[in-house]
Amino acid sequence: MARFCEGDSAAFDALFQRYARPVHGYLTRLTGSPSTAEDLVQLTFLSLVRARGRFQAGSRFKPWLYAIATNAARDSQRRGRRPEELTPEGELPASIPADTPGPRDSGLENAVQRALAQLPEGQRIPILLHRFEGMSFAEVADAMGLTESAVKVRAHRGYERLRELLAALHQETQE
Amino acid sequence: MKPECSRVMDSLGGPLPAELTSHVATCEDCRALVGGFDALGGVPVAPPSEEAPAPKLEAAHQLALKELAAHPKPTPWWRELLVLLAVYAAVLGGALAWLGRDGMVGNRAPPMVVAAVALLTLVLVGGGAVLALAPSRRRLPWGLVALAAVGVAAVQVLGGSGLQIRPPMRGMLGCMGSEVAMSVLPLAVALVLLCRSAFQPVRALAAGLSAAGVSLLVLHLHCSDGTVSHLLSAHVLPWLVLAGVAVLVRSRLPTRSYAP
Repeated sequence: MARFCEGDSAAFDALFQRYARPVHGYLTRLTGSPSTAEDLVQLTFLSLVRARGRFQAGSRFKPWLYAIATNAARDSQRRGRRPEELTPEGELPASIPADTPGPRDSGLENAVQRALAQLPEGQRIPILLHRFEGMSFAEVADAMGLTESAVKVRAHRGYERLRELLAALHQETQE
Repeated sequence: MKPECSRVMDSLGGPLPAELTSHVATCEDCRALVGGFDALGGVPVAPPSEEAPAPKLEAAHQLALKELAAHPKPTPWWRELLVLLAVYAAVLGGALAWLGRDGMVGNRAPPMVVAAVALLTLVLVGGGAVLALAPSRRRLPWGLVALAAVGVAAVQVLGGSGLQIRPPMRGMLGCMGSEVAMSVLPLAVALVLLCRSAFQPVRALAAGLSAAGVSLLVLHLHCSDGTVSHLLSAHVLPWLVLAGVAVLVRSRLPTRSYAP
């Protein structure tokens, strides 16, 4: 990161190769749209280059990058949708349009995607970052600008709710 | 959340130590938590981006490299802060010099009160600029910004001389017009700099209070009317409205970078 901050393009290449696909995966799960995620990956890495002077030496890179990606997704939703489609807090809506294709055509993954889409943003993002991006809760807290305990409470509620939702979906498919 | 529940969360995805396994067996919350985590067990962690078309990612890569080549040296955030503070200082100095041709301080309140209120307003102007532009690990609390705004508004009103020098309407229109005119440049520069980080309403509010605070400070020093109604309607209210306008305008401006 230090070499990239000084303008070293080889260092940027290494960061891009390592993180571009995981960030794309995260954004696909967050927005429910692979094509939107592609545009957001571009904005994320462009922001990374432009704002590298804001990176605080000694802090963790991965949470910072995912914070940028999350902000880009939030801004895209805020500008692309009518205000009445946002939550009162201006957050991403808790549901994704039904006609949006899921990231994979597998039954379980579709069910999980549907269940995740029903969670509020404050619970969905910690679960995506923790379960799918392999971040610790301390890193998730960094990415979300919250305390670790606040993130744990949100993730706890999210996992509980997911269990209920997935059980209900499983029951529906069995009927 | 109990400490054991927190440790269970930290151990998700790995083997649970014996004492935590027995805790999970007796804790309903943790059973629900582990159940929710395990329900995702069959979903691959590998992101669906494996299937993403490479050309799009490569285009993003090339665009970012082009940007890096165009700007090989990063701009530290504190340099932007210095630019903003320099603009504030120039507007403050210029306005005081222009308005204070017949005397720099027109406020008829006791000098110590005038100085204390001016100092507090100056702290708000500087602190607001730092909060608006500094990269932060934690979200800026709304309560802190609201408390600072209410505090400064209160001391501005309570620190007035109580004297009415000009006819009320003339005094009000004069001060309101001056406050808006003096705020244009600081607000414009603050908004441009705010676009270099992700939009956060509370940050934009801090920037608005800070930028419009420059003209509030000039009026506090220069204006000789000190009644509560004049200070509320002609000094404090326009200041708060200008801060609100800053949030509204920033929400509509394009964002150059989504960094926190």
